[in-house]
Amino acid sequence: MTRLTLSALIFGATALTALPLAAQTTLTVARSVDADGLDPQKVSTTQSSQVTDLIFDTLVTLDASGAPHPGLAEAWEISEDNLTYSFTIREGVLCHDGSAFGPEDVVFTLDRAVAPETMNPRLSQYGPIKSVTAEGNVVTVKMTEPYGPFLSYLGSFSIPMICRSAVAVDGSFTPIGTGPFTLVEWSRNDHITLKANEGYQGYSPLIENKGRPYIDELKLVVIPEAVARMAALRSGEVDLAEPSLEEAAILESEPGFKVYSADLSGQQVMAAFTWKLAPFDNPEVRRAIGMALDRDAYAMIAYEGLVSPTTCPAAPGLIGVDQAKCAEWGTRYDPDAARAIMEGLGYTPANPLKIKLSVHALPGFDQMHQMMQQHLAEIGVEAELETREVAAFFDHMAQENMRTEGTPVLWTMGYSGVDSDYMTVMWQRPGFVNMGVGEELDTMLADQRMLTGDARVAKLQEVQQYILENTYAVPLVSPGWNWLWASTDKIEDFKTGFVASIIFNDVKIAE
Amino acid sequence: MLTFVARRLLTAAITILVVVFLAGVLIHLVPGDPITAMLAQSGNASAVDIARLTEQYGLDKPVWQQALLYVGNVLQGDLGTTIRGNEPVAPLLLGRLPNTIILAVAGLGTALALGIPMGVIAAVNRGRAADFAVMLIAILGVSIPGFWMGLTFIQFFSLHLGWFPVAGTSARNIVLPALTLGIVHSALVARMTRSALVDILNEDYIRTARAKGLRESEVLMVHAMRPAMISIITVVGLVFAHLLGGQVITENVFSWNGIGRLAIQAMLQRDYPLVQGFIVIFATSIVLVTTALDLLYGLLDPRVRRR
Repeated sequence: MTRLTLSALIFGATALTALPLAAQTTLTVARSVDADGLDPQKVSTTQSSQVTDLIFDTLVTLDASGAPHPGLAEAWEISEDNLTYSFTIREGVLCHDGSAFGPEDVVFTLDRAVAPETMNPRLSQYGPIKSVTAEGNVVTVKMTEPYGPFLSYLGSFSIPMICRSAVAVDGSFTPIGTGPFTLVEWSRNDHITLKANEGYQGYSPLIENKGRPYIDELKLVVIPEAVARMAALRSGEVDLAEPSLEEAAILESEPGFKVYSADLSGQQVMAAFTWKLAPFDNPEVRRAIGMALDRDAYAMIAYEGLVSPTTCPAAPGLIGVDQAKCAEWGTRYDPDAARAIMEGLGYTPANPLKIKLSVHALPGFDQMHQMMQQHLAEIGVEAELETREVAAFFDHMAQENMRTEGTPVLWTMGYSGVDSDYMTVMWQRPGFVNMGVGEELDTMLADQRMLTGDARVAKLQEVQQYILENTYAVPLVSPGWNWLWASTDKIEDFKTGFVASIIFNDVKIAE
Repeated sequence: MLTFVARRLLTAAITILVVVFLAGVLIHLVPGDPITAMLAQSGNASAVDIARLTEQYGLDKPVWQQALLYVGNVLQGDLGTTIRGNEPVAPLLLGRLPNTIILAVAGLGTALALGIPMGVIAAVNRGRAADFAVMLIAILGVSIPGFWMGLTFIQFFSLHLGWFPVAGTSARNIVLPALTLGIVHSALVARMTRSALVDILNEDYIRTARAKGLRESEVLMVHAMRPAMISIITVVGLVFAHLLGGQVITENVFSWNGIGRLAIQAMLQRDYPLVQGFIVIFATSIVLVTTALDLLYGLLDPRVRRR
């Protein structure tokens, strides 16, 4: 018996030493730009929030339809007047530094977010918060007026929960949250190294692995040049990278690679009008132009079939967005009918209406705009293309939208959000780059914020019907930018979430 | 000599101050609003937030007032905070400056290692095939865009041969960007070396040295190269100053974490404090390099001190 036990022990020891040590799995991801910062209450770009979203969790989570589910809050109640939200905070959640996450952290997060000295670029998404208090494990948020999109924003990377220990007495910030990854190192503009949060407990309906991420380490490197990023992916230096549109189309048909397009991007590209300028003040002219634009062709040709045509003024998947209804309210591609309208108004290819097509540079945009020029020429509209870089473009359009005299401008733009409420930011006067329309639409947009549930859905659809029937906008495609990823086929279960967030909880690296 | 040094340092200080003020004014002449651009990309460009942040960053003040305020802050050692991410500019730029200097030195070293021998070969073989061949290579070096050369090197040396990593900031990563910068700038060094040597090799004292029976290598390296050095040092200074600010594209292609990459991003985002900080640091580097060259000339040539 002793000999048998000894033999078993020797065999066991030999077997153990023969087993290879479990290799550390590191996933290296190449992005075009780095985060601006890691304080989620001070950053504004998607690339920054893609990182903070890995470090910090949210109070509620969103499913693929945008409906809220429990997150760090295991339950919540909304008062009948929609002015008070009571969140029951989950117990047993730990911050990355080992401290317990609790209601005080929620109060701290929301108080800091709305404090003027924080200079939070996303302040208005927090809504009209009057007070935040904690009693037991319940946090009560009181609003000065109802704010319908509050839960959507609470479920997005715009409003993550930070641990109190993140902010030192001198005000300095260390990214300490409760998310699936903890920060190891950040060499600005070069790389960010994160490691799996060993005690992580996830709640998002978008992930299957509710525990610690399968990968041990995540390294986000910055490679600004698209050609160099692809060289790094092809050489195996990185596992996942942002491809250019052209490269994505090539990789899609190439063995050994996978291409991902963000379904829940909340992004949408559309054409809009300087409608105060004649003849764009005539809804019939706007309608004819809408009927000349072939969104199916733009999606298939300009965007290599990697995006979908869209018909609503808010992005697919967001609350109140119904593509079939929008298709009825808005314009459909019908060049013959468009030409007839323009001829009736005296414009023909021989005597065209002269406009400017003002745009900014983005992948896919150039070819789409060239196609738009051709489509417009066919109905008697001569469009002079003007391209600016992003920062100059929005400033330029803010001035163009104020003009009441001069050449009319058709312009294209993209916007994104986690809730259709972003239509309020865009269309309620003065609106984004002064694109606001008028009192009727302002009222509808203000009303939707006061509502919740089905009543809000109905009001949001009323807004979209108004915009489309008056052809203030012509929705084109979705998504539109920062939405493409490519990996080697060793990578399994990489996902993208709302507003082009990146999800690594389920990722496995195959041998 | 002391007066000469004091005069040069005073000129340098005034130049930097003027550049700081001009940077504060000129940046606002570029079309584009940093707050609108930032908030448009955050999906939250509400008019209220744009107005609030514009005021908080002091961008609602008149341009001259902003520029004067900036000069005052710079004199106190404060380069401000970035609009994107709200972080102090000075540590952000100074943290990356060593990487830029390292790459500039490596690029300059490569340019000298390639350019000086090329210039000597061309000068010694003036009018012959070797001269034309070297000058043709030099012209090609200047004509080929740096970013194209860089991307070609990545495709060949990194992807095809697998010798070097594609991206990053480390000792192994420096080879390809240094080679790219070196080839581009070696052309100027070669031309200047050739031109200086051709003039000197026609001087009477060189003829005398040859008549005395000195070996050609001794004539070249001792009697010709030394006086040619003053012209070469001028080029070295100019190339180094240019490399400090002009390697922006190369840093971008090879993902080298220098201030150039930071500057490109800041310019596209109209992050005024960061762009201004870059201009201040870049201008200060140029002024320091040219002042050092002036002082060096003064040491090498007493006639310069008397001017």
